[in-house]
Amino acid sequence: MTQRSAILAALAFLMPALVSVFLLRLWPAAVAVNTSLIPPGGGGYSLENFRYIFTDPVFLNSLKVTIVFLLIVNPLQIAISLALALLMNTMVPLIGFWRTVILLPVAIPQSVSAVVWGVALRPDGLVNAVLVALGMEPQRFLTSSDQALASIILIVSWIGVGYWMTFILAGLQDIPKSLYEAVRIDGANRWQQFRFVTLPQLRRPLTFVLVANTVANFLIFAPVQILTAGGPEGSTDLIMNTVYTQAFIISDPESAAASTVVLVGVVLLIVILQFRLMRAEDSNE
Amino acid sequence: MNSDKRFSYARFAVIVLVAIVFFVPLWWMTVSAFRPTDAIFRYLSPLSPWSFFPRTWTLENITGIWYGNFGRAIFNSIFITLVTVVLGLAICSTAAFALAVIEFPFRKSVFMVMVISFLIPFDAIAVPLYGIMRMMNLQNTYTGLILPGIGNGLAVFLLRQFFLGIPKELREAAFVDGMGWFGIYWRVYLPLSGPAMLSAALILFVFQWQAYLWPLLIAPAPDYKVAAVAIAQFSAEYNPNFGLIFAASLVISVIPMIVLTVLQRYYSTSVASTGGKE
Amino acid sequence: MMNDKMSRRTLGAALLVGAGMMTTGTAVFAQDVTINFLSAQRDDIMQPMIKGFEAANPGIKVVHQSVPFNDLNAATESRIGQGDTSIDVLHADTPRIPAFASQGYLLNLDDRRDVIDAAVPNAVDLEQVSYDGSLYAYPMWTSTQLMYFNRDVLEKAGLEMPSGDPEQRLTWEALLDMARTAKDSGIKYGLTFQQVDRYYQLQFLFESNGAGSGLTGDEMLTPTITNDGWIETAKWYGDLYESGLAPRGVTPEQTDDLFINGEVAFMIAGPWAIARYENAADLNYGVAPVPYFEGGKPVTPTGSWSVAINPNSEKKDAARAFAEYISLDPEGAYLSIKNNPNILVNAEAFKNYSADMDGLTDKIGSAIDIISYETKNTAVGRPRSRGFVTFETIMNRTFSDLRNGTDAETALKGAERQLDRALGRIQ
Repeated sequence: MTQRSAILAALAFLMPALVSVFLLRLWPAAVAVNTSLIPPGGGGYSLENFRYIFTDPVFLNSLKVTIVFLLIVNPLQIAISLALALLMNTMVPLIGFWRTVILLPVAIPQSVSAVVWGVALRPDGLVNAVLVALGMEPQRFLTSSDQALASIILIVSWIGVGYWMTFILAGLQDIPKSLYEAVRIDGANRWQQFRFVTLPQLRRPLTFVLVANTVANFLIFAPVQILTAGGPEGSTDLIMNTVYTQAFIISDPESAAASTVVLVGVVLLIVILQFRLMRAEDSNE
Repeated sequence: MNSDKRFSYARFAVIVLVAIVFFVPLWWMTVSAFRPTDAIFRYLSPLSPWSFFPRTWTLENITGIWYGNFGRAIFNSIFITLVTVVLGLAICSTAAFALAVIEFPFRKSVFMVMVISFLIPFDAIAVPLYGIMRMMNLQNTYTGLILPGIGNGLAVFLLRQFFLGIPKELREAAFVDGMGWFGIYWRVYLPLSGPAMLSAALILFVFQWQAYLWPLLIAPAPDYKVAAVAIAQFSAEYNPNFGLIFAASLVISVIPMIVLTVLQRYYSTSVASTGGKE
Repeated sequence: MMNDKMSRRTLGAALLVGAGMMTTGTAVFAQDVTINFLSAQRDDIMQPMIKGFEAANPGIKVVHQSVPFNDLNAATESRIGQGDTSIDVLHADTPRIPAFASQGYLLNLDDRRDVIDAAVPNAVDLEQVSYDGSLYAYPMWTSTQLMYFNRDVLEKAGLEMPSGDPEQRLTWEALLDMARTAKDSGIKYGLTFQQVDRYYQLQFLFESNGAGSGLTGDEMLTPTITNDGWIETAKWYGDLYESGLAPRGVTPEQTDDLFINGEVAFMIAGPWAIARYENAADLNYGVAPVPYFEGGKPVTPTGSWSVAINPNSEKKDAARAFAEYISLDPEGAYLSIKNNPNILVNAEAFKNYSADMDGLTDKIGSAIDIISYETKNTAVGRPRSRGFVTFETIMNRTFSDLRNGTDAETALKGAERQLDRALGRIQ
C-alpha cells in the first residue's frame, strides 16, 4: 500500500462520480454564481443583485418562514421516522407490505399528492367533514395564515416520513443482537436498551437522516407552489418557492441566482454545524 | 438484530392502524380514479359512505389514460429509473468506498465537494445545465434524462457512512490475502452492504421517479416524455380532468408498490450477511 | 458574416426548390420537413388542425410538444431564450407577447400585416398580438366571460331567470341579492368565479368600477392599485368570501364541479366551460351577460392564445405555412377549436363557430349573441406591458389574500410596494 498506489486507486474509484458531479452540478452552479454577480441589463460585476434581494421584504420573509418551518419540521419528521422505524422493526405477517404502504407516498408525483391533500383540506373538504362528524369545529387550514404552514408541514411529512424511516430501519437491522443480550444480562429495561444500545448504534444513520432531511426540507416547493403559492400573507412562502418564482415565472434569473447562492450558503452552514455536532461518530477514520 | 421474536397482537394492531392512516389519502385517490369525473368532488361534505366509496363505478378513467402516449411514458420512466439506479449504484458506491476506506490527501475536501453537490437545488441550476446539455447535443435523448440522476452526492454520503462502520480488520486481513482495492470493494465491502445499497437505490429511485422540471426541459418530444410530465398534461389549461389524473397516478404508483414490497424482504434477510459487523 | 453567407445559400436553395416546384407542380418541399410546435394544450385539442395541415401540405410533418401551462414560461425561457432552434412554432399567450417580443423570442410579422388584417378584422384582436407598433403573432383565439346560472336552483329559490340581452344585464348589486336568496334556499354558495384569484378574470371588476387596469405609464410599468376604486372593489371581492356567499379554499380547477353539482347558483366562466357543462347529464343551466357595477360601465375580459414563430427557426417557411394555416386559413382555424370551443378571431371561421353555438340556443339561451356583442363592444385586454407576468403573479397572490380575509387596503398597499420594486428591475 504505497501512498502513490492509494492515490491512483482513489482517483480511479472516484473519477466517474467526480466527473458527473462537476459536470452536472458544480459547473451549472458556477454559471449561476456568475449570473448572480451581474445586474440585470449588464454593466460589469457587482453585488447589486444581493443588495436587491436583501432589501426585498418578500425574500427576507421567505428566509424567515423557511427557518421557522425547518425548526419545526426537522425534529418532528426525525422523531416520527424513528418511532415508525422502531415500531416496524419486527416480524409480523405482511410486514414488508405495511412498510411499503408508509413509504408509498414518496413514489406518487408530488403534484398529485398536493391535489389530494388540497381537496381534503378544503374548508368544505373531507377533513372538516370528519371533524364536524366528531362534533368539532371546522378549521380553515390552507386559507388561514395561522394554519397554512402547519398544513404544509402535515402534507410534506406524510410524503417524507416513510422515506426517512427506511434509512433508520436499515440502521436498526445492523445493530448486532449480541449487544442487546449483553445489556439484558445486566438487567437493562426496554428504555435503557434503547438509550444505551439502540441510540448510540444509530448514530451514523441518524447523522445521515439529519443532514439529508435538512437539505430536503430546504428544497421543498412543489406542494407550496400548487396549494398556496406562498400565501396566505406570505405565511408559507418557503425560499425555494421564491427562487422558483424568480427563475421560472417572473423571469428574473439574476435574482434567482443570487437567492440560490444565499440558500446554498445557509444550508452549507447548517450542515457543517450538524457534522460538528455528530463528530464523535467519525472517530473510526 | 433486535426485532422481537415474540408476536405481539397489540403491536400488530398498531402497525396496521398506522398503515391505514397513511393509506387514507391514497385510498381516496384510488377511489376517485373509479368515479365518473363529475362525481369526484361531489361527496366531500357532509361525511357519508360515498365520501370514501364510489356511488357508481366506472372504468372510463383507467381506459381513458392510454389514448396518447401514456404507455410509452410509463416505459420511459421505468427504463430511465432502472438505468439510473444501476449506474448510480456503481458510481456512488465506488466513490463512497474511496472516501471511506482509502487514505489519500484531500480526502476531506473531496467529501465536502460531494456534500456541496447535494446541497445545490437542482431546479435552480436547471437552466444553465440545459445550456451545457445543449452543447453536447443531448436534448431529447435518454442520456440527457439519465445523466443528472447518476452522480448523487446524497447516495455517496449514505454509503460512506455505512462503509465507515465496517471494521478495519476485515480489509487488513484481505490485504494479507493479497487482494487489491477492487477485490476488497467487490468481495469484502459490497457483500456486507445489502441494506445500505438498497437505501442508496431508494435515493436514486426517488430522485429520478419524481423528476419533473428537468425531463420537461430536456426531453419534451412525445417519444421521451416521462410519466410525471404525462400526468401533468391531463390537467391542461381548459377542463383539467381529475379522473384521468388520479387514474394515471394509480397506475404509476402500482409499479413502485410491487418493487418496494418485494425489496422489503431483503431488509430482513440482510442481517445474516452483516453478522460480522461490530 | 458566416450567417449571412449561410442564409444566402439557404435562400438560393429555397429558390431552386421553388423553381423545381413550378415546373413539376408537386410538393412544395423537395424533401420532408419536420417542424416542432410548442404549446400548453392537450394533444387531443391540437391534433385535428395538425392532421388537417399535414393533409394539405404533404412533405411537412408537425410534432406537437405539449407542456403544462404553468411550465410553458420555463420551457420558452430556457429553450428559445437560449437561442435553441428545436422549436419552430409556439403557441403564445397574448399578454406575454410584449415580454417575449422585447427579448427577441418572436419573429416580427409586419410583412404579413395585410393578410392578417384581412382575415382578422377586429382591432382589439390585433392589439393583443402587437408590441411597440409591430405584429409578433398570428391571432387565433380570443375569449370572453359569461354568467352561467343553474335553472333548477333559481327556480327552487323563486328567482327569475336573468335576461340574455346585453342591454339588460344585471348590476352586481342586483345579482348579489339574487345569489343570497339562492344560497338561503339551501345550497352551499351563491356565486363563484371560475378562475378565482386570477387577474384575467378579475380585471373587469376594477375596470367596470372605473378603477383602471392597475398598470399605467408610457411603458405600463407603474402600478396604480391603491386608488379609491381599487380599494373599494377589492373590499367588495373580499366580502364575497367573508360573508360565505362565495367559496374560500376552492382552486380554479375545482370550481366547475361546484356548478355541475348544483352547489352554486351563479358562475362567471369562459365559453369553453360549455364543453364540460354539456356533458353533465343532470345540469339544467342558462347563460347571461356578466354584470357591471351600478354607475360603472360594462366591461369583459378578452385575449387568448395566438401562434408565433421562433426567429431562430431553421425551417421558417414551413413554420410560417403551419402558423398561417391554423390562424388565417378558415379551415385550419376551425379545426383548431374542434375539440375545444374557443372563440375564433378569424372572421370566416367564426361563422362556422357561430353556427355550431346556435344549436345550443334553445337550451341555454343565445350564448353566441352575447359572445359577439361582448367581443365587439365591451372587451378590455390585459395591460400591454413587458412586466405583465410579474404584475399578474403578484396580483394573483394579492387576490388570494383578499379572498382569505386580508384587509383590502393593507393587501393592495403591500402589493403596490412589491410591484414598485419588481417592475423597477425591468430595464
